[in-house]
Amino acid sequence: MAFRALTKGLFGLRHSRGVTVKYSCDGHFATAASIQSPQPQTDDVKEKILQLPLKSPDYFRVSELFSLKDLFNARVHLGHKQGCRHRLMEPYLYGCRLDQDIIDLDQTMEHLQLALNFTAHIAYRGGVILFVSRRRQFCHLVETTAKECGEYAHTRYWQGGLLTNANIQYSPGVRLPDLIVFLSTLNNVFQQHVALRDAAKMNIPTVGVVDSNCNPSLVTYPIPGNDDTPVAVELYCRLFKMTINRAKDKRRQMELLHGLFTPTPSSS
Amino acid sequence: MAGSRLERVGTVFSRVRDLMCSGVMKPADKPIWFDVYEAFPPKKEPLYVKTKTRTFVNKQSNVPAIFYAEDKVRAWFYEHYGTGSRSFDLSNSNFVSVCQRFVLKYSELKSHSELEDSALYEMTAKALLSEGITLKQRARHPVSLIKAHVHTHTHTHTPDQLTCTHEEKQNFQGTHGK
Repeated sequence: MAFRALTKGLFGLRHSRGVTVKYSCDGHFATAASIQSPQPQTDDVKEKILQLPLKSPDYFRVSELFSLKDLFNARVHLGHKQGCRHRLMEPYLYGCRLDQDIIDLDQTMEHLQLALNFTAHIAYRGGVILFVSRRRQFCHLVETTAKECGEYAHTRYWQGGLLTNANIQYSPGVRLPDLIVFLSTLNNVFQQHVALRDAAKMNIPTVGVVDSNCNPSLVTYPIPGNDDTPVAVELYCRLFKMTINRAKDKRRQMELLHGLFTPTPSSS
Repeated sequence: MAGSRLERVGTVFSRVRDLMCSGVMKPADKPIWFDVYEAFPPKKEPLYVKTKTRTFVNKQSNVPAIFYAEDKVRAWFYEHYGTGSRSFDLSNSNFVSVCQRFVLKYSELKSHSELEDSALYEMTAKALLSEGITLKQRARHPVSLIKAHVHTHTHTHTPDQLTCTHEEKQNFQGTHGK
């Protein structure tokens, strides 16, 4: 079963994807395909598909998607004023120019590469990704981004037990997201978003854009960067959308290559 | 399914790994992200850090202030000429402001001649004048200090009192970068 976002009506339930995965697991192929794969062989092939991308450091070539110049032009290096600075963000800051914190873009490059790579692998493995942002300015953008990459978004008020009490608030056996991406880790009153702590509680890894006034300690893959400027947020959304689509296309390609999709008459 | 909701103890990865090691979580229940995290761990482990409620009175910040050698020239420029004749055009990324042109001309002249600073400033102003940029001298310190005094006591901001002091100008210019 798929995890349903609170934005009613915008995104439907994704039964089909879950069902496909289940089918390939059981090896119940209806038509007599050219590959009469017995179950162990299918599992082996599936193992190979899953393990192969982990061998190379940048299998999905996410580092090609952005450059330091792009980050600079999108004003990702601009942080908040000195007084708003969070103690734990100090290692990620390059310096302070006339009281405004400047984020170190070299570090941001590395963190962004790690985060996008992780996201790509999760998307490749058919994981459910949830985009969270409580900034009203970018709520529509985040929702459209999620729609365009076939994932989920939650940009409205976060009810207390959405993750921790999912079995009662939704229904028993709900599938929780496998990754939560925060376009802004703060909520409307400049406190840390509840979803961050809840994701840590439910053992869900998080990827988040942390500005100079955010707490990066609980974020699994933090991306130090500006989360207020529209140009920067559009850049992040574009990057996430491109990585997820790339990863999913790659997965489809691999499955076709190894003949796990019966309907197409492609040989292994 | 087994889980561990202790977000302040260890990381997400360490908790899941230990649950699997101990046998509480079956290998079939292994989360999707587990192998990926193992192959590509983050640079810093996402451990929960307790925020100190009592902070030092004099916080020593490890974040250095960013200043360049040209800032001295810029400070002199703003002190003597105020904002400059042309406003900043932020939509153009290759925009060179009056102050920046002054700085560029100054560094050019400095590399050629061996004069001292004050003479160099005059030379730069003259050079810019010859290029067609007029720089209007603004009111000097004694008068503006009195104005500042008046401003701090009366908190009214009428349009004709908007010729603000040097310090306010510096702060105003500082926010232009966004």
